[in-house]
Amino acid sequence: MAYTGGPMTEAMYYVLLALMRPNHGYQLMQSISEVSRGRISMGPGTLYGVLSRMEKDRLISLAENDGRRKIYQITPVGEKALRQEYVRLQALIEDSHILEEGNNHG
Amino acid sequence: MDKHVYKLRPSDYWKIGEHESWFSDMAAEGLHLKKIGVLFAKFAKGEPKDMNYRIELTSKRYISSEQKQFYQENGWDYVAKYGMYHIFASPVKVNAPELHTDPAEQAYTLTELDKKLKSNAITSVVAAIFLTGMLGANLFLDGTPFLQLIDGGLLHLNLISLFLIFATYQTIIGAKSIHTLKKDLAAGKSIDHRAKWSKNSKRRTIISLLFTILLLFSSIVPFYKLVQDTTETLPESTPSLPIVRLAEIENNPNLLRQEPEYFGGDDVDWANRLSISWDPLAPVQYETDENGYVPGEQWADQSGEYSPSLSTEYYQLQFSFLAEPLLNDLRKRNHYPGRGIKLVHSENKSFDTFYAYEEQESKEVYASIGNVVVYVRYHGFAKIEDIIIKMEEKVTLMEL
Repeated sequence: MAYTGGPMTEAMYYVLLALMRPNHGYQLMQSISEVSRGRISMGPGTLYGVLSRMEKDRLISLAENDGRRKIYQITPVGEKALRQEYVRLQALIEDSHILEEGNNHG
Repeated sequence: MDKHVYKLRPSDYWKIGEHESWFSDMAAEGLHLKKIGVLFAKFAKGEPKDMNYRIELTSKRYISSEQKQFYQENGWDYVAKYGMYHIFASPVKVNAPELHTDPAEQAYTLTELDKKLKSNAITSVVAAIFLTGMLGANLFLDGTPFLQLIDGGLLHLNLISLFLIFATYQTIIGAKSIHTLKKDLAAGKSIDHRAKWSKNSKRRTIISLLFTILLLFSSIVPFYKLVQDTTETLPESTPSLPIVRLAEIENNPNLLRQEPEYFGGDDVDWANRLSISWDPLAPVQYETDENGYVPGEQWADQSGEYSPSLSTEYYQLQFSFLAEPLLNDLRKRNHYPGRGIKLVHSENKSFDTFYAYEEQESKEVYASIGNVVVYVRYHGFAKIEDIIIKMEEKVTLMEL
């Protein structure tokens, strides 16, 4: 299923975020954990699935493949999608100010 | 050397969680999965271990070595595969990271498989309808299904079509289950790796096993038939056969056997032959043809030398409830409209069901008793009553 914009899964978002610096599979799992401040520990199956799918959708590409380790990087298309998602998420947060008001009055 | 144990596997291969749970329970008993097939799973006997098993689905029959290696680096070893189902295992104490941590993402991995199974299911349904329709047509087209089943030897083919329907049903359920799984995952519901497997599993497995045995049986039947079925020249005298002989009803010392006009490649006189056949529904079947002539005697219309003939079909059925429907089918097959043959007797104390027809020199008798059905066709001067008396005498020879 090709990515055509719209809300990303959490896994997609964090993998793209982590790939702002080229990286390979095993380290990516750790980077995602770091980027999410330990909130997300992504399983190898999920990561493998996301990488294969996003490579097919050209959101990421291979930076290097020495046969043993594949190093992935985000593509310009991927970065654009990531930034769009970021703007969308930001809008979600902004729209949620009502909750903070609720807390103040509560 | 490792000792191996084979166990009947749960038949519903699409029930991922139940399988994973089953493998774990077996490992806890010291049985470690090695291989898995259609019906059985092979385990190596060893020390009981706490193991986690995970099934990974692919849209192709293989999984890339890269994926296997990646999982292995994370503590998951590749154990076995069954079709597009790939099984990984990890000891609990290794504390390997869970393979899938995002059900919505896992749902994406099933997209291709879901599509493929759907189209497979549609193809199976079309093929099943086509083949079953074809077999059904053979069975029902001329309105004599029992005769086709028993005499035409169509039982095994129809059992195969039964298996086909069962397999198609399994394919549909499998495709539907994967579709549901995909939807559930997309909605955030993850697979229960500890799902209870024992509840209905045994019953379903036994059903699958029965269908497989049925299929094997159906495949052997034609070969067994080939060995059992024989045709030979009818001996002059056959006191042990429960069939009426031409000489017995003609009662004419001048009656001679027709000189054979046609020999098959196997030296059988087809005008005076005895065929013995076997079928699961009718283990003993005889079919005979007898042709004679009386030198110097003419047919009533002076159309030539008097040459009476007698044919018999004898069925000893596996189940006596088949006797009446078979007898009715025999009547249906031999009574096409416009032949003018008339019913002269419709009962007889020696038989359960009885019909005798006559039209000048043509006589036909249909009789059944217990699990035996006999059909006699005669052309000649003898009275139908003489044939009936002889048939009554033969009842004692019948294997009821």
